[in-house]
Amino acid sequence: MHVKNSSRRRRATGAVAVTAAAALVLSACGGGDDNGGGDNGEAAQGVEGGGTVSAYNCEPQFLVPGNSTEVCGSWVLDSLFTGLVQTDLETNEPMPGVAESWDTEDNQTWTFTLGEDWTFHDGEEITAQTFVDTYNWVVDPDNAQQSANFFDNFVGYQEVVDGDAEEMEGVRAVDDYTLEIELTEPFSPLPDMLTYTAFYPMPSVAYEDIEAFEQAPVGNGRYMMDGEWEHDVQIAVERFEDWAGEDPGLPQRIEWKMYTDIETAYLDVQSGNLDILDAAPPNRRATVESDFGENYADFDTSSFTYMGLPLYQEEFQDVDVRHALSMAIDRQAIIDAIFDGAQTPAANIIPPALSDAGEGNCEFCEYDPEAAKELYEEAGGPTDLTIYFNSGAGHEEWVEAVSNQWQQNLGVENVEFESLDFAQYLALHDEKEVTGPYRLGWSLSYPSAQYAMEPIYATGASSNYAGYSNEEFDDLINEANAETDPDTAAEMYTEAEAILLEDMPVIPMWFSNYLVVHSDRVDGDSIFMDQATYTHLEDVVVTEE
Amino acid sequence: MTRYIIRRLLQFVPVILISTLIVYALVFAMPGDPIRALAGDRPMSDAVRETLREQYNLDDPFFVQYAKYLWGIISAGDFGTTFNGRPVSDLIAQRLPVTATLALVTFVIQTIMGIIAGILAALYRDRFFDRFVQVATVTMVALPTLVIAFLMQLVFGLNLGLFPIAGINDGLISYILPALAMASVSTGILARLVRSELLDSLTSDYVRTATAKGMKRTRVVTRHGLRNSLIPAVTFIGADLASMMAGSIVVEAIFNLPGLGEQVYRSIQAQEGTVVVGIVTLFVIFFVLINLIVDILYGLLDPRIRYE
Repeated sequence: MHVKNSSRRRRATGAVAVTAAAALVLSACGGGDDNGGGDNGEAAQGVEGGGTVSAYNCEPQFLVPGNSTEVCGSWVLDSLFTGLVQTDLETNEPMPGVAESWDTEDNQTWTFTLGEDWTFHDGEEITAQTFVDTYNWVVDPDNAQQSANFFDNFVGYQEVVDGDAEEMEGVRAVDDYTLEIELTEPFSPLPDMLTYTAFYPMPSVAYEDIEAFEQAPVGNGRYMMDGEWEHDVQIAVERFEDWAGEDPGLPQRIEWKMYTDIETAYLDVQSGNLDILDAAPPNRRATVESDFGENYADFDTSSFTYMGLPLYQEEFQDVDVRHALSMAIDRQAIIDAIFDGAQTPAANIIPPALSDAGEGNCEFCEYDPEAAKELYEEAGGPTDLTIYFNSGAGHEEWVEAVSNQWQQNLGVENVEFESLDFAQYLALHDEKEVTGPYRLGWSLSYPSAQYAMEPIYATGASSNYAGYSNEEFDDLINEANAETDPDTAAEMYTEAEAILLEDMPVIPMWFSNYLVVHSDRVDGDSIFMDQATYTHLEDVVVTEE
Repeated sequence: MTRYIIRRLLQFVPVILISTLIVYALVFAMPGDPIRALAGDRPMSDAVRETLREQYNLDDPFFVQYAKYLWGIISAGDFGTTFNGRPVSDLIAQRLPVTATLALVTFVIQTIMGIIAGILAALYRDRFFDRFVQVATVTMVALPTLVIAFLMQLVFGLNLGLFPIAGINDGLISYILPALAMASVSTGILARLVRSELLDSLTSDYVRTATAKGMKRTRVVTRHGLRNSLIPAVTFIGADLASMMAGSIVVEAIFNLPGLGEQVYRSIQAQEGTVVVGIVTLFVIFFVLINLIVDILYGLLDPRIRYE
């Protein structure tokens, strides 16, 4: 099995490239065919590649940036839009997007200097005001954008939500190409956060008729819509030749085909009707080599699965009980038996791709049944457990395996399962009526250690379903968010992670691996899935038409 | 006859009202907040959630919601929208042709194959063809549609490459495999039904009389034998066609056909009341319509049946 990890990358762009680099690239590449006919210097660099690549996708929920919270839609939007900041896929660090550079003294007031060549696909120029308008529109409660609360640390957010103001005070166009963002508190991961879908700019045509806009979004990204979004059938995009960024997409055309059944997509790739399936069903892992020969790859991602413990229930308040529950799980055995090895056991909270700790430093994630049993008995852990998970999402088998191990290793006598559909499941959490270990997951909307922890473990945070609260942890996160030196901040996040691994409000289970299969038409070495599970179709090399 | 049809059509109104009410009530009774589930692990802000709940009338009591839904249909032809903001009427308009085509192709395949196989088996009773039909039909009836669908995909789609595996991009030919999969059980039942009915009537007195009078064999079989044995077959075909829309859920999902069955399944999971009600109502209308047509056909096949 060949495992690729995030460090392999075609793009050699360094952390923060400056405009001068674009000129270099231009002279180095020379000529090339530029059928966009743009006279704009940066965009006119010769683009290799070409051809059409087709990929599996699920039907997006929404195609408005501020409203897209799931992978299917955000994946498409990633091609259609470019935010102020992009992620350098090699390092997972922020790199210039529409903004050429940014600056802050205190992590609280940020100044972004925008490139002057950016336009939307319809020709509208992008200025600082574009971002001011977009951000205010997304936050306006009347527009009911699901990602509105990503802006909750912007000055003036609350006033707009409460209806006391029309616009956020904290987002200002200083001049055409200077944007200022002021936050309520220092927040060092702001550039990381701005890479997220919710922060893409929208053209003025969007506000006129947002429903029409959603059917064929006009963005500023590497690709532009070709025709409308054909619901449940396909979304097709063509390369935008006037894209102002430095590394335009390679394929001339990308087609996302929507499938309801992944098995069908798998067969379609096998027969050559579809080029890329980035979420091949795990049960195919055993046969993928005979089905695809060399045409597959495995990618580690930051998609995190955990067993949470309701700390608002008395029996889980003893930290020894939590440690024992964790030590009694043989993660690797479950992964081998149920997932054909397709998960990476978690000994950490911050995903390995973003962590300085690397493989993790979780003392209590080691499988040690004897010690676990002793600890559990001493602490008087519950002999009856109810385990919660959401139904119909493939969690049945492994949750049962975990419960078997608890029964065997800890002397738990009775296990009951509560499997509910997702709406009910979340309602139960909101009401704090969960009485036992529960399954949940977390994936990173933007690549930052802060985002891997603060929303789930900070006191009162929006996804803190365990009801965890630790002042020391909260302080560390706040300090790290305020820290201006990135290395010191990283150390502080790692320290905060250590507290979580000691307190163990949730039991880390694993990070998911994704199996990507492809047809003979594309070069397998050019396929790359990032830690957030996005496959970068713009980098795919099409080898035959 | 006309009066009969009008009376039957009038009966549709309460049937449809009651069935929408029941479906709406069932979706309403599902626990949990669908808007909350829309956002996933990371909750949306309360302000957004409230706006959306208000937009979909989710905070109203049941009868108010239902009344608003009905009023929307009557006053503006508005069948509501999905949680993604798409009008349900658009959704149905886009998906109905897919399911209708699938149903039609299936219907044609199973009717032709079932009836022909049944007739031939009856005429060549106990000979090789009869035995073959018997074994084949038992197999077809016994194998679940799911298994047949995957087999078809594997053999004809992947290995032989004769038909597209999924999707509807190749036009009518895309529907052949799914239709074969969906038709298989009914074809089996229909063939056996026609065979036994035809055998019964071929041994009956009036057929023997007709034969004794020196009538041609083909005429005896088609006019006297077949016509009388078709009533049970028509009943079966009608009931089968009526339930076909609902039965398309599995096949549509496997062959990735963007039809109504697949949508209704997804909308139930997402608790999208308006979508479920819209589509199920369509199924109900279809069901009662087909039943009416079947009843009318009885009269044509058997002049003794008269409607007032």
